[in-house]
Amino acid sequence: MPDRRLSVVLRQAAPIPLDVEFSCEPGQVMAIFGPSGSGKTTILRAIAGLYRPEQAQVRSGGESWTDTSAGVFLPPHARTVGLVFQEYALFPHLSALGNVMTALGHRPRAERRHRAESLLRLVHLTKRMSSRPHELSGGERQRVALARALAREPAVLLLDEPFAAVDKAVRRRLQDEIDSLRRTLEIPLILVTHDFDDAVRLATHVLVVEHGRGVASGPMSVLTSRPDVAFLREAVGLGSVFDAVVTRVDAERGLAALSFGGGELFVPARAGMAGASVRVRIPAREVILAVGPPQGLSLHNVLVGSISAIQVEPTSDLVIVRIQVGDEFLLSEVTRDAVARLQLAVHQRVCALVKSVSIEVQQTSRA
Amino acid sequence: MRQRTFALSLLLIWLVFPSLPAAPQVARVAAAANLNFALSEIAERFAKDRGSRIELVFGSSATLTRQIRDGAPFELFLAADEEFPSQLAAAGLTRGAGVIYASGRLVLFAPTGSPLTVDERLTGLSRLVKERKVTRFAIANPALAPYGKAAEAVLRKHGLWDAIRPQLVMGDTITQAAQFATTGNAVGGLVAYSLVLGPGVAERGKYVVIPEADHPPLQQRMVLLKRAGDVASQFYAYIQAEAARAILRKHGYGVPQ
Amino acid sequence: MDWSALGVSLWLGAGTLVVLVPWGIWFGRLLAFRHFRGKLLVEALVTVPLVLPPTVLGFYLLVTFGARSPLGQAFQSIAGHSLPFSFAGLLLASALANVPFVVQPIQRGFEAIPRDVRDAAACCGLTPWQRFVRIEVPLAWPSILTAAILTFAHTLGEFGVVLMVGGNLPGETRTLSVAIYDRMQAFDDRSAGIMAATLLVIAVATLMVTTTLSRRVSRARA
Repeated sequence: MPDRRLSVVLRQAAPIPLDVEFSCEPGQVMAIFGPSGSGKTTILRAIAGLYRPEQAQVRSGGESWTDTSAGVFLPPHARTVGLVFQEYALFPHLSALGNVMTALGHRPRAERRHRAESLLRLVHLTKRMSSRPHELSGGERQRVALARALAREPAVLLLDEPFAAVDKAVRRRLQDEIDSLRRTLEIPLILVTHDFDDAVRLATHVLVVEHGRGVASGPMSVLTSRPDVAFLREAVGLGSVFDAVVTRVDAERGLAALSFGGGELFVPARAGMAGASVRVRIPAREVILAVGPPQGLSLHNVLVGSISAIQVEPTSDLVIVRIQVGDEFLLSEVTRDAVARLQLAVHQRVCALVKSVSIEVQQTSRA
Repeated sequence: MRQRTFALSLLLIWLVFPSLPAAPQVARVAAAANLNFALSEIAERFAKDRGSRIELVFGSSATLTRQIRDGAPFELFLAADEEFPSQLAAAGLTRGAGVIYASGRLVLFAPTGSPLTVDERLTGLSRLVKERKVTRFAIANPALAPYGKAAEAVLRKHGLWDAIRPQLVMGDTITQAAQFATTGNAVGGLVAYSLVLGPGVAERGKYVVIPEADHPPLQQRMVLLKRAGDVASQFYAYIQAEAARAILRKHGYGVPQ
Repeated sequence: MDWSALGVSLWLGAGTLVVLVPWGIWFGRLLAFRHFRGKLLVEALVTVPLVLPPTVLGFYLLVTFGARSPLGQAFQSIAGHSLPFSFAGLLLASALANVPFVVQPIQRGFEAIPRDVRDAAACCGLTPWQRFVRIEVPLAWPSILTAAILTFAHTLGEFGVVLMVGGNLPGETRTLSVAIYDRMQAFDDRSAGIMAATLLVIAVATLMVTTTLSRRVSRARA
């Protein structure tokens, strides 16, 4: 299995400022996240070879695609990238099948039609293969764009705001499909988005970009609990994100138990949850701190951990407390007064209390 | 199916398009526009007698001279005066000085329904001018056509030039002037006698021949050009022979003795 | 009806197309996709024949290539005849006069292709030539067709330049439009009328063909 690790270094002062450095392993999903105009799409285009920054190094496995110091720049058609454009950029004069077949030039002529058909079946677009793009709905067009990107058998799959133009219901289905795809593909997947929910749903890693600069990068769960990243806070609302598995469902009591790196959580049960992998987000506002285990509360979730950081907000009266619970982190937003009253300090053991209904759960796969 | 349509289109194109435009195997002759009817008839006669075709291109003497100087592939040039051929001879483009082949006359023409009455002394025209009833009067452009120059001389002689000048409409060629004069677009004009004698033109109105003394003589000279071929040389001689001279006389020209 | 004049007109139209359209595709595409200093000037130069009186073009061609000019004499020694007053000279004049009719529609046609679509073609593994042939030209095709038909129709209607540079030589530079003028001067209104009607019919038919073709193409494209 060829090493498909993608490593990217981009630096430029003008006309578009860039300063990012990251890598993505096969099977990982890197969400590039930032406000509009922060240069996210430029980063994707640089990886694809559609943009040539002043200083850049883009490597896919052993292949050097861009290396300005060595004068190497592979044009986009020489790189095996799959790029799904924001507006899909389908060829208007070709059918869905024709669009996909265009990317199959590396395959023998006799095979192309058959492969294109199976790729379209893979993205669940079987009935409309001979339709032109203008006859397809937004969601269908995106599937065709995805199939066309995959037809290339790419070493890296790039998605530019793939859910921006699609409504919520379709978005869910598409996210599921992409998620199941990434498990089978074994290539790095880079996803650009300004909507954090998308990132939460799909990404394993996050790169936060502001004005072309990478301000923070790392695994999803770590990054989302970093209160120092201003954009994350503003756009997202502070919270912690991590993966969990549904271990038990008690239909009678209407509760499901989730097991994660910090212990067990209880959430309201939903259909089809048994045994599912889920991604969990706990907003910092919903976490209450107690210096000792409380009695007589309606809460289901009491997690014991120790304070690893206390950050005072300069502009408001709020304090963000970071608590290590087992292998994971929780964030809690409390007032300065509360910190003073409880005399909270780093390394102190505390209990984090969360209402079961406050926990956001997204299913990432069926059992 | 698509290949068949393509082949059919090619066949159609081949049928519709005659041969590629190129220099033909005939003599190309440039002639002053006043010879429009006379020379066409002579060329027809020549073709019947000698079996060779002549291609005639009519224009004003000035324009044709200019074209010849710019490289136009004519072999024989029949001008309406002597000045233009001598220019070409001076530029070394001719075979010798050529010969005078005819002398032309001017007529005053008034189309039917025009208020102009025609007479040799131009009294009718003078009266119209004095009464300011001249809408338009046609002559050839004196800078381009010798017949226009002669017309200007006639008008000056009768003291009408300055008064009638604003109403003058000047044709690029004498044939264009004749068009203006005979189609009712002007009260009349000073045009070539040979044109008025052409088929269907005389019936369009009334005319009178202007006395030769009223303008410098319209001695018309022709020259063979350097590149002239055999047919052109034969035609040059033919025009000076009796059959052609008779045709010229018929069309109102004087011919040299 | 002067059949040789009709032939000259048709050959001039076809010849102008053969000379201009391939170049127009290359140049129109260049103007559409590239940005360079002086591009505004180049685009203005392309438009010049539209606003220039045909006599100006005729004048400059005669002065530059006439038998009295060094270029003209050089041409004459190579080709054996002068450039003006030959079909070749006419073709040159026609090509120059039609530059805006060819370049501008084609340029718009290529400009209308979304940038993303071209980039997507590159990401599909198509080389620049393949992109050109399989994506760009098919999408710009209606404009290319329009440019060709406009040019052909415009060539049929050329008069001033043809008369000045061609000189009304029968069978070689006497186009139908010039023949009409020639016959009128010769008091032959009947011939002039037949030829004028013919030109009118050809012009209308040409435009009808364009409209139908471009409608059909855009329906297939849409």
